[in-house]
Amino acid sequence: MLYTLTEKPNTMDFENAKAQMRKGVLEFCILSILSKNDAYATDILNTLKKSELIVVEGTLYPLLSRQKNAGLLSYRWEESTQGPPRKYYALTDKGKEALHELESSWKELIEAVDSIISSN
Amino acid sequence: MKKTFSVNLGNRVYNIDDDAYMRLKEYLDRIESYFSDEKEREDIINDIEMRLSELFSERLTASRQVITLADVDDSIRIMGDPSEIGGVKGKSEPFKSHERYGGRRRLYRDPDNRVFGGVCGGLGAYLDVDPVIIRIILVVLFFAFGVGLLVYLIMWIVVPEAKTTAQKLEMRGDPVNASNIGNFFREEFDSVKNSFKRKK
Repeated sequence: MLYTLTEKPNTMDFENAKAQMRKGVLEFCILSILSKNDAYATDILNTLKKSELIVVEGTLYPLLSRQKNAGLLSYRWEESTQGPPRKYYALTDKGKEALHELESSWKELIEAVDSIISSN
Repeated sequence: MKKTFSVNLGNRVYNIDDDAYMRLKEYLDRIESYFSDEKEREDIINDIEMRLSELFSERLTASRQVITLADVDDSIRIMGDPSEIGGVKGKSEPFKSHERYGGRRRLYRDPDNRVFGGVCGGLGAYLDVDPVIIRIILVVLFFAFGVGLLVYLIMWIVVPEAKTTAQKLEMRGDPVNASNIGNFFREEFDSVKNSFKRKK
C-alpha cells in the first residue's frame, strides 16, 4: 500500500513532463513539416501519425491556433476535389526564423543530453 | 426506429441519430469550455469540426447514410478527450454544472423538488444548500419554537412557483441563455429517462 502512495505523485509529474516535452517537440515538427510544403491539418496529422508523435488528433489544433496567433503561421482556403474547401497553413517569415532557431537549439540539446547520458 | 437530426458539420450536411447527436453536442461543448480565449476557441472548434466531418464522411457509404452513436464514439476516440486536447495549456477548468456565472438568483418555490409546496427546495436552490438540511432546520424550529409551520405557510403563499424553464434557471442562478436552456432540457430528459429505467 505504502509504495502506491509514494509512487503516485512521481508518476504524475513524470507524465506531465512527458506531455510538456511532447508538446514542444510537436510544435517544432509542425513548423518543420510546413517548411517543406504548405499543408492542411489532415496532411500534418498523417505525417505526425506515421512517426507516432501524436496520440490523439485533437492535440494538433490548439498548437496550430497558437502558432497562427503568434504570427508563425498563416492560412488560406483552397478548393478541394473531395468536399468543402480546406484550410492550408503556410510558414510566415517569422515562422521560418523560429524554425531556424529551434533547429539549432535542438541540435545543441541533443548533443548536450547525449554527452551527459554517455558519460554516466 | 430512431429519430435523426440533420446537422451542418464543417460545411457538410449529415443525418445523425438523436443519441449520436447528443453525444457529439456534449463533446463539442466540453471542448469549447476548455478554451478561455475566444479567438483561439473559435479556431479550434472550427478545425475540429472540419476534421470530424472528414472522419464521418469516410464512414458513410452508398448503403449507409446515417451517422450512428458508434461513429461518433469512434471519432471522439480518434480526436481525444478535451483534457488531452487542452492538455497543459488548458488554463480554464472544465465546465461544471453547478458553477455559477454571476447570474442573479431569485427565490422561487421549486416544483421539481418538493414535499409540500416546494418552499424548502426553492430556498435550497437560492442558498445553494441541500434542501434536506433546510427541511430539518424547519422541523426543529417547529418543535422548538412553534414558528416553523407559520413561516412555511407564509412562504408558500408569498413566494411564487418556478413554472417556466427561465424561472427555474433564475432560481438556480444560471444565466438564461440558449445553451443553458439546452443543458436544462438535457438534464430533465436524463432524469425522466432514469426514473423510467428504475421503474422498469
